[in-house]
Amino acid sequence: MIERKIKKGRSLWQDGLRRLWRRKLVMVCFAVIVLYFLLTGFIYSAELFGWKVGPTQWQESVGKSYEPPGRENIFGTDIFGQSVLRKMLYGTKTSITVALCASLISLLIGVPLGAIAGYFRGFVDEIIVWVYSTLSSIPYILLILAFAVVLHDKSLFGHKLTGITTVYLAIGLTSWVGICRLIRGEVMKHKEREYVLAAKSYGCSNSRIIFKHLLPNVFHLVIIDFSLRFVSFIHAEVILSFLGLGEAERPSWGAMINDARIELSRGVWWQMAAATIAIFLISLALNIFGDALRDSLDPKLRVQ
Amino acid sequence: MTKNISSNCPYNTAVLFGVLLLTLGLTGCSDSPSDEEPNEMVLQSTLNTKIKSLDPISIRDVASSQVAYQIFETLYQYHFLKRPYEIEPLLAEGMPQISDDNMTYTIKIKKGVLFQDDACFPEGKGRELKSWDFVYAIKRIANIKNLSENWAYLDNKISGLDEFREYTKSCKSEEKIDYSREVEGLQTPDDYTLVIKLTKPWPQLVISTLTNAATSPVAEEAAVFYGKNIISHPVGTGPFKLKKWQKGSYIELVRNPNFRGELYPSEGESSDAEAGYLDDAGKPMPFIDKIVWTFIEESQPAWFLFLQGKLDAKAIPKDNWDEAMTGAGELTPKMKQLNIHLETFIEPSTFWLGFNMEDPVLGKNKPLRRAISYVINREKFIELFFGGRGLVAHGFVAPLLDSYDPDIKRYGYAEYNPEKARELLKEAREINGGDIPELKITLPGTETFYRQMGQLLRRYLNDVGINVEVECMDWPTYQEKVNTKSVQIFSAGVTAGTPDAEDFLAMFYSKKKSPGPNQFNYSNPEYDKLYEKIEVMPASEERIRLYRKMELMVLDDCPAAFMNHRLAYVLRHDWYKNYKPHVFGYGLGKYRRIDMRKRAAYKELLKTVK
Repeated sequence: MIERKIKKGRSLWQDGLRRLWRRKLVMVCFAVIVLYFLLTGFIYSAELFGWKVGPTQWQESVGKSYEPPGRENIFGTDIFGQSVLRKMLYGTKTSITVALCASLISLLIGVPLGAIAGYFRGFVDEIIVWVYSTLSSIPYILLILAFAVVLHDKSLFGHKLTGITTVYLAIGLTSWVGICRLIRGEVMKHKEREYVLAAKSYGCSNSRIIFKHLLPNVFHLVIIDFSLRFVSFIHAEVILSFLGLGEAERPSWGAMINDARIELSRGVWWQMAAATIAIFLISLALNIFGDALRDSLDPKLRVQ
Repeated sequence: MTKNISSNCPYNTAVLFGVLLLTLGLTGCSDSPSDEEPNEMVLQSTLNTKIKSLDPISIRDVASSQVAYQIFETLYQYHFLKRPYEIEPLLAEGMPQISDDNMTYTIKIKKGVLFQDDACFPEGKGRELKSWDFVYAIKRIANIKNLSENWAYLDNKISGLDEFREYTKSCKSEEKIDYSREVEGLQTPDDYTLVIKLTKPWPQLVISTLTNAATSPVAEEAAVFYGKNIISHPVGTGPFKLKKWQKGSYIELVRNPNFRGELYPSEGESSDAEAGYLDDAGKPMPFIDKIVWTFIEESQPAWFLFLQGKLDAKAIPKDNWDEAMTGAGELTPKMKQLNIHLETFIEPSTFWLGFNMEDPVLGKNKPLRRAISYVINREKFIELFFGGRGLVAHGFVAPLLDSYDPDIKRYGYAEYNPEKARELLKEAREINGGDIPELKITLPGTETFYRQMGQLLRRYLNDVGINVEVECMDWPTYQEKVNTKSVQIFSAGVTAGTPDAEDFLAMFYSKKKSPGPNQFNYSNPEYDKLYEKIEVMPASEERIRLYRKMELMVLDDCPAAFMNHRLAYVLRHDWYKNYKPHVFGYGLGKYRRIDMRKRAAYKELLKTVK
C-alpha cells in the first residue's frame, strides 16, 4: 500500500480561530470581554449564594457624599457616599445581562424568520419582509423607546416587567431586523447550491433542510452579527437607563451617567468618568474582536 | 386655596422657583428689541410652562396666574409691603360689610373704574365697571358648559348658585343660557354694590376667593363678542393689557391707558423705608411700560440670561449653587462685583410621604406608619437633596400660616429615631399578624431626583427590616393612581395660597377623599366634627387653638410622614426696584421699577468681571 500523507483539512472554525490567535491585540480584547462576562457571572453567583463581596455591597456607605477619588475609593463616592467603583462593577452585570438577553431574543426571532422567508419565498416571504420593512422604517431609538414605554410596568404571564426585563425585551423585540435580512439573503443564495438540492432529492423534509443543512452553513454570520450587535445593545441599555426607562433600583451605567449629568456642573466628574471608562472598554474590545472575527470567518473577506 | 405642586424635586424646584420668581418679581431685559422707544421701561421675563388660556374661569395654575393677574383685578388683594400679610381693597371701595350671622357680605365697588379699550365695546371704548360684571364672572364659573375647574372653590357655598349650575346642565347650547336668571346669593342692588349670600358661614371668602383672579370681573360684551376665543382675548381693568401673544413662545403686555392709577402703598413694615421699598410711596402705578415673557423651560438658559443681565431676577438653580453662593451662605465675590442681591424667604409649602389609609396593610397599622416616619432622617434628606436649604416639617401646617406653631418640634413627630421605630415595628407585626409584606412607594417623576430619593427611602426602611419597592412614574400617571386610591406610600406637596391654614386642614376631612384634597383617605369622625366647626368659624384665637389641636390629632394618627418646607433663594440685579418677596401675591408687576441707567451700565460692568 502506498502511504499517502493527506494534509488534513481545517474546518472554517479551526481556521478562523487560528487566524485570531495570531493577532495579539485581538486576544487582549477577547480577554477583556471574557473578564466582563466572568465579572457578571461572579456577581450573579455572589447574589445567589449571598457572598458579601464588593460589587454586591454597593448599597453600603463607604464615605461622605461626593468624596473625590482617592486611595480609599478609587472612583470616589456618590450622593449617598456609596462607592462609585462598586456601582461601576455592578453596572457590568446590568449591561451584560441586558445585551445577552436582548441578543438571544433578537436571534431567536430573526434567524428562524429569515431562514423561513429565504427558503420558502412567495407569500410567507412577502409577509415577513413587509413586517421587517415596516419596523426598520421607524427610527431605531424611537422604536425602542416606544416599546420600553409600552412594556414598562406591564405584566407578562403573571410576572411583572420591571427595569431590566423591560429593557432587554424592548431591545430584543425591535432589533431582529438586521439579522433576519442577512439570514434571508444568505439562505436564498444557498438554496440553489448542490448540497441543498441533494438533500431535497433524498426527500428530506423542509425543516430538516433548513435547520440541519442551511443554518449550520450560514451560522458564522450569526456569530459575527452577534458580536457586533452586542455593543449596540449595551449602548441601547445605557440610553434607556439614562432616559429613566431602565433599571431604577440597581446601579447601571446609564443611570450613573444620568446622575452625573447634573453632578458635573458642581464639579463631580468621577461618576461620569467611571461609567464612561466601563462602557468605552467593553465597546472597544467588542468592536475590535467583532471585526477580527468577521475577517477570519467570512470567506469572502479572507486574505491569505 | 392650596396649589398642588407636582414635585419636591429641586430641579423642578428651579422650575417652580422660576414661576415663583415671576410671582415675586417680573424679570427684565436690558437688550430692548429694535422697535422699542429707547425710554420705555421694559420688563422681559421668562415663563417655563406654556399658558393655554387667559380666561379667568381657567386661571388656576401658577404660570397663567403670572400673566392674568396683571390684566385682571380682584375685589381684594394682599398688601404689598405689610407683614404679616394683610388684605386690602382693590376694586372694592372698602372692606365688606358682613351681617351678624356671617352669611351676607355687602361690598361697595369703586366708581369710575374703566375696562380697557377693546373692540368688543361700542366704539372700542372701555366702559365703566359695574357690580353685575362680578356676578357674571361667578356665574360663568358655575356654568357647567364652561368646564371650569375653579368651580371646586364655589361648590355649595353661594346660595342659589348650585341651582344655577343645574339649570345650565339643562340648556342645550351656550347661547341659550340666560345669565340674567336670578341667583339668590348674588345680588346687585345698584351698579356699585354687590351682595353675596352664603349657604353657610365661609370665613375664607374674602382672603381666598375674592383675591383670586377666577372671580375677577368679566365684561359680558367680551364674552359674547369673542365666544370661544375669549381665552386669548382677555379684557380686564388692570394696569396692563395684552398686546401680543404667540402661543407657546411669547407674551407681551403694555400699559393700560384706562387704568385709574392706583397709588403705591405708603405704609409698610418698619424696615421697608431703609430697604428702599417706600421710595415710590404715593406715586401712581404702574411704573413700567411693558412686560414681555418668553417661554424658557430649562433653568440653565435662564440662568445664563440672568448673568448677562437679560433677566432681572432668578432663583438660584441647584446646579449653579456653587457659582452663586459660598459655603458660608454668602454671595460669591463674583456676584457681589456684579451688584447682585440675594433675597431669601420661606415658602408656605409642605411636602410629605403620604400613606393611603384605605390600604389594608398601612391603614389599620398605626405603629407601622409611625415607625416609617421615625426611620426617615429628614435633616439628612434636606442636606442631600436641597444642600441643607430647607426646614424639617415637624407638622403639616406650613410656616407663615396663621396656626403655624413655631414650637411644634417639641412633640417630636418628625424625629429620626430608628430605635423607637424597631420597637414600634414589633407591635406592627403583631397587628399585621406576621411579617410586614413588601411595601410600595410611588414617586411622581422618573428623573434622577426621584430615583435617588427612592434609593434613600429604601435604605432607611431596609435598615429596620421593612422591604420596599419604589416605582417612579410621570406626573399624570401618578395623579391617576393617587386619585383612584391605588397607591400605598406616595410623595406629594402643596403650597398655600392664603395665610389661613384651613386648606391644609381640609386635606384630612373624610368627605374630601381622593380625588379630593384628602389624598390620604384619612377618616376620623372626631376630626371631621372639629373640621365642620372650624369651617364656618371666623378667625379668632379660639380657631387657632382648634387648628393646632386638629393638627396634633393628625400628627398622632400619622397618615403621612411630613418631610420638609422649602426655602427660596432668589437673586436680583441692582436695578430691579420695589422687589419685596411676597408669597401670596401675583399681580405685582405694577409695583416694580427698573433703574434704566444702572441696567445700561451693566454691560460695561460685566466686561470688568471675570
